[in-house]
Amino acid sequence: MTVASALVAAVALVSLVGQAVRGSRTVDAQLATQAVHDATVDDAFYACIDTQAHSLVGPGQTVALGGDNLADLITMIKGFGAWVTVADPASRADVVLTLHNGSAAPGTCLGTRVVGTYRGPDGRTTVRFGTGAQVAGQGPPPAPPL
Amino acid sequence: MTTVLATTAAICALAAAGALPVLAAVGLRWVSVTLAPLAGAVVAALAATASLTFGGPLMSWFVGLAALGAASVFGLWVVRPDLGPRRVSPGSGGGALHRAAGIVGFLAVVGTCAWSLRGLRSPTVGFDARALWVMRPGWFLQSHAHLLVDLKVRSLGLTQSAYPPLVSASTAVAWKITGIHTARLGVTTVAVLNACALATAALALVECGRGMAGRLSRPWVPMAAGLVAAVLLVVVAAGVTQPFLTNGYADPLWSLAAVGAVAFGLQMPGDPSARAATVVLILVAGTTKDEGFVTAVALVVLVAARSIGWAGLRGERKRWVAPAVVALGELAVLLWWPTMMRVIGARGASSTFTTKTDLAHRTSATVHGMSPYLHVLVLAVPLAVVGGLLLSGLRRRMGLGNDLWAWAALAVGLGAVGAVLVASTSPIGPWILSTVHRITEFPILQAWWIIGVWAVVAAAGLAGPRDDAPAVPRAADVDTPDASSAPVGDPVGVPG
Repeated sequence: MTVASALVAAVALVSLVGQAVRGSRTVDAQLATQAVHDATVDDAFYACIDTQAHSLVGPGQTVALGGDNLADLITMIKGFGAWVTVADPASRADVVLTLHNGSAAPGTCLGTRVVGTYRGPDGRTTVRFGTGAQVAGQGPPPAPPL
Repeated sequence: MTTVLATTAAICALAAAGALPVLAAVGLRWVSVTLAPLAGAVVAALAATASLTFGGPLMSWFVGLAALGAASVFGLWVVRPDLGPRRVSPGSGGGALHRAAGIVGFLAVVGTCAWSLRGLRSPTVGFDARALWVMRPGWFLQSHAHLLVDLKVRSLGLTQSAYPPLVSASTAVAWKITGIHTARLGVTTVAVLNACALATAALALVECGRGMAGRLSRPWVPMAAGLVAAVLLVVVAAGVTQPFLTNGYADPLWSLAAVGAVAFGLQMPGDPSARAATVVLILVAGTTKDEGFVTAVALVVLVAARSIGWAGLRGERKRWVAPAVVALGELAVLLWWPTMMRVIGARGASSTFTTKTDLAHRTSATVHGMSPYLHVLVLAVPLAVVGGLLLSGLRRRMGLGNDLWAWAALAVGLGAVGAVLVASTSPIGPWILSTVHRITEFPILQAWWIIGVWAVVAAAGLAGPRDDAPAVPRAADVDTPDASSAPVGDPVGVPG
């Protein structure tokens, strides 16, 4: 019994120590300079399109997330899905928000701008670009781990 | 208000909501400290579900449910003062060393958990976290009509929004009480909840060692082993769950809560306090994510089966009534949200399972996808076999549950996730590639906890039996509320 106990205890504790060392290194990898930089850029990008969306949507206005690009839809949900009032049906939305992905330029978030399309009572549409924030550089932002 | 202050305020609010029910059910124990915020998170999840079901703001439901819980607890204490928080637990009354081990173990585990959250120094917000877990809180704070639209309208395309609400509801509470509506606050709040679940599961190892001490001639040996194993398991778990432990994902929370539920419900002596901790942890796991829901339902069945035991099956009514009632209550809570998703016709609520796909191919892809992440089984299985063959008598004498219960939980959890992957219609390759390291967290962690428990049992074998050690009943027999039949040693630790 004592030998078996010693054997099991030794194997278990040594393996736990070994895995703990590996685990600690894994956690430290999160703090690598590149990882922190990527996370910072990611944060700045979504804060930027959030601010631009705020500049396009007034209080009480309902929103439709437009465009045919699934990636853009997900980006918009990530950026401002938490606070927009989604219109149902989408055709009744006061504002249709889309993303315009272009080259890096002033007033863009890594080259992306939020675009608002408004349909007036007379049927005429107005297009406005989001303002209030920009992030220099070319997108898309670095992909965080899935 | 800084994020640190806001997170502290959020966790305090959740802990305040969960503290009294935990004190009433679990008692004045070290583990109650880490369970209180988790119980508060369950209250937040119930508040979100009630808000969806009946209307009304989430915060009104949160405060109302917390107040109802507190009033019920005070009422219970008035009617039954003997059930107060300082009630004598079965077998409590250990000496100074026993109490010191509780204090040191708690501080060491909590300190190591805090250290393991150092990944929060990076401002990472995970992909799914930003797209779902810490985005959906905004929906919970909108009006009932808009919440329904958010969950139902097809044009949003986000089918995962039907996932259980605990993470998002807890974040919604954090946002509402602090006025800070940022993904970062959601991430930090979830990270602290993760740490609470991790600490709770690790404290089970500390209490495992303390529970054995009273029966051994050198009681410090299992207590030291339990403490060391618990601290090591915290670091191991932080490595297994990174980067998701600190980037807002829900997978670590349900996985760690399920591991804790197995520890308290299937491995520790089955006293009422441990069973109450198990209930909280099962509800956390089951209201956090779909995979957690499936695993939690399986754990409800396993814990009830262990409590009922052969005696209950032979017809001893007192054996099965209480466990059955608890299990039915747990299932009712767990099923509330998924039922509501179907009732309102939410996106992602309908099943996409089929048996018409190439099951052989999907099974092969699932097995091959998961295998590289489960290498811990190469260590855990032989160790458990050796332990089971040579130390099972010692383990039984120490009052612990049979190791096969923990393996059953691991197998069921792994099997449930695997079955979903195999039977679903989504493309298996990308799905495995993008999720396998997260959805295997529970079996990986469970295997490490099995190893940790065997380390403590084996250490007890080195401590030598005490001549006057009392006989220990079988695990199912410990269920009796009669304290005289419970094992020596405070099972979950009385604060020093």
